[in-house]
Amino acid sequence: MIKLQNVSKIYRTKTIETVALNNINLEIAEGEFLSVMGPSGCGKSTMLNIMGLIDEPSEGSISIGPNTIKDYNGKPIAKFRNENLGFIFQSFHLINDLSVIDNVELPLLYRSGINGKERRAMAEEALTKVGLKNRMKHFPGQLSGGQKQRVAIARAIVGKPSIILADEPTGNLDSVMGNEIMDILLDLNQNDKTTIIMVTHDETMARKTNRLVRLFDGSQVS
Amino acid sequence: MLKNYFTLAIKVLSRRKFFTFISLFGISFTLMILMLITAFFQTELGGQAPLGKKDQLVYLDYITTFKQFQDTIPEVDSTMIDGVMRYDTTGYRYEDSGRSISRGPGSIKFWNTHMMDIPFVKSRTIYMSRQSFDIFINSNKLTFSSTFTDGDFFNIYNFKFLAGAPFGNQQLDNQAQVVVLNKEACKSYFGISEGNFEEAIGKEVKLDRKNYEVVGVVDRVNNSFGFLKSDVFIPYTNAAPEVLNRERFNGSFSATFLAESANKTKKVKEELVKRSKVIPLPNPEQHDQLEYFPATLEERYAWTIMGMDKPEECYKYAIGALVFLLTLFFMLPTLNLINLNISRIMERSSEIGVRKAFGAHSGNILFQFVFENIILTFIGGVIGFILAYLLLNTINGSNFLNGTILSFNYQVFIYSFLICLGFGILSGFLPAWRMSRVHIVNAIKNNQL
Repeated sequence: MIKLQNVSKIYRTKTIETVALNNINLEIAEGEFLSVMGPSGCGKSTMLNIMGLIDEPSEGSISIGPNTIKDYNGKPIAKFRNENLGFIFQSFHLINDLSVIDNVELPLLYRSGINGKERRAMAEEALTKVGLKNRMKHFPGQLSGGQKQRVAIARAIVGKPSIILADEPTGNLDSVMGNEIMDILLDLNQNDKTTIIMVTHDETMARKTNRLVRLFDGSQVS
Repeated sequence: MLKNYFTLAIKVLSRRKFFTFISLFGISFTLMILMLITAFFQTELGGQAPLGKKDQLVYLDYITTFKQFQDTIPEVDSTMIDGVMRYDTTGYRYEDSGRSISRGPGSIKFWNTHMMDIPFVKSRTIYMSRQSFDIFINSNKLTFSSTFTDGDFFNIYNFKFLAGAPFGNQQLDNQAQVVVLNKEACKSYFGISEGNFEEAIGKEVKLDRKNYEVVGVVDRVNNSFGFLKSDVFIPYTNAAPEVLNRERFNGSFSATFLAESANKTKKVKEELVKRSKVIPLPNPEQHDQLEYFPATLEERYAWTIMGMDKPEECYKYAIGALVFLLTLFFMLPTLNLINLNISRIMERSSEIGVRKAFGAHSGNILFQFVFENIILTFIGGVIGFILAYLLLNTINGSNFLNGTILSFNYQVFIYSFLICLGFGILSGFLPAWRMSRVHIVNAIKNNQL
C-alpha cells in the first residue's frame, strides 16, 4: 500500500549537510500495523512525515496505493491527505478554542459534499468509537492527557482514512492511558482494517504491532 | 465551515482581549472621525438650502488694486577710522520692490459699472455683511447681524421661506424699507413661536432708528457662511450714504455670480479674469492694476480656511492635505492590524500546520484568517457607527459649531465601512498569505495552539 523507494532526506544549510534519512526502501501492506523505533534523531518522525505527505523526500519516491507522489504542494495533495490519511501527534495538537466535537469535525471541513448535519453525525460516531461522546461539548483544556489523545484519534479517523500515521501517540501518557490508546489503535487496525504506522520509543507497544522497523542514523537497520 | 471559522474568530478575539481592543479601537475610531469629517463637509458644502445651486456659483470676495514702483533701499557703509568705527548712511539704491496695494471688497460703483454683463452669467448678487444692529426690547439687548444685498440674492440663494417672500430689485431701486428676517431673529424680536411666522409679516422692525417692514421670514441656515446666516437681510440701498456713494473701487461689497449652468463656472471665472485686464482704474497715479481671483464654492471655502492669495491653489492644497490625512487615517488601523495580525497568526502556526495536515490547502488557510479579520472589522464598524452617531448628537446638542447641525450620512458611512473592510481584508491577507505558505512540518513544530 505504501512504498518508499530509495528515499533520502537531507537538510542542507550553507555550512552543514545533515542526512536525516538515508536510502530507505520500505513497503507497507494494506491493513498492516507497523511500528518504527530508533533513538532520538534517527529519522523516525521524518520518515513518518514523508509517508504522510507533509514532508518531501530529497531523493527517491513514495507511492501510496496506485499513486506515485510527484507534487507535494497544492490542492490535489491536500485533497489526497484529507481523504486517505489521518494524523495522531504526540502532543495532541488540538485547537484549544474549539470544543471537542468541533476539533473532531476539522478534517471534514475540507471535504466537499458533506453538510453540517452529516459532519456532526460522523464526528459523534468517531467520538463514540473512542468512548468520548459524553465529552463532545467540552474543550481540550478540560480533558486529561489520555482523553485529549482519544479526541486526536477521533479526529484522525473521522474522515475514515485508510492510513493512520501516529507519531509517538503514547509518548506523553502514563502506562494505563498509553495502553488504552494502544487498544483503540489495535481495534482500528483489526476491525476497520486501517493501515497504521506508529513511531514509538516503547518496546512493549511496538511488540503489539504486526511489524517493527528500526532506524539508526537515518538508515533502516531491521 | 464558516460557522467553525466564526466560532474560532470570536473565541480568539475574546481570548486576546488587548489585541481585540487595540484593533477595534483603530477601526471604530477611524470610522468615527471619518463620519465626523464628512458630516461636517456635507453640512457646509452639501448643497442644502440656500446652496441649492452651489455648482453654478462663482465668488468674488476681494479685489486688489496696486501699483508696482521703484523703492529706495538705504545702504549703510562702515569704515574704521583712527580706531573708531564710522558709518556712512547717505548711500541708497533703487529696486523694483515697492508695491502700493489696496485689497478688500468692492464698491457698489465698481460692481455696477464694471462687473455687469459678464458672459455665461445668468445672475449676479452683491452683498455686505459687516454691520450689526443693537436692539433693545423690554430692556433686553439683542444684536442682529445683517446682510445688505439686492433682490437677486434670493434668486441665487434658495432660502427656505417660512413666511412671506423676498424683496425684489424694484424695492431695492425704490429704497424700500423692508427686511427679511431669519426665524431665530423673528422669534426673539416678536416673541413668535415656531410655526406662527406669518404673524410677523407686515410688522415693523426698528434698526438703527429706522423702521423696516418685515416681508419674509427664512429658515435657519445650517452652515458657517456668515453672509447667509445673518439675522436680517436689507436692500442695500438702505445702507449708509458713505457706503453707497463710494467712488473708489474698494468698498464693502462682495459678489456671487450664478453661471448659466454648472459646466460654465470655469468660463465665468475666465471671463471675470479677462474683465480685470480691461477695466480702467480711476486713479492710475496711485493704482494702475486690478487683480482678483474668482472662486467656486469649494475653492472659496478652502481659501477662507487657508488664507492664501489664490483660491484655486488653496483648494488644491486642501484636497491634497485631506487625501493625505484620510489615507493616514485609513492606514493607521491597517498598519496596526497588519502588525498585530502577524504576531497573532504566527502564534497559531501549529493550528495552521494541523489544518494543512488534515487537508486544508493554502487557500483555505488564507480564507480563514481573512474571514476572521472581516468579523473583526464588522464589529469595529458597528462600534464606529454607534460612536459616530453619539458624537454627532453630542456636538449638535452642545452647540459647539455655533448652530451648525451635523447630520449622519449613511451613504458615506457605508463607503467608509467598505474601505475599512478592504483595509481589514488587506491587513489579514498579507500575514495569512505568508503563513499559509509555511511548511507543514515547521508549522506543526511550533507547539502553541
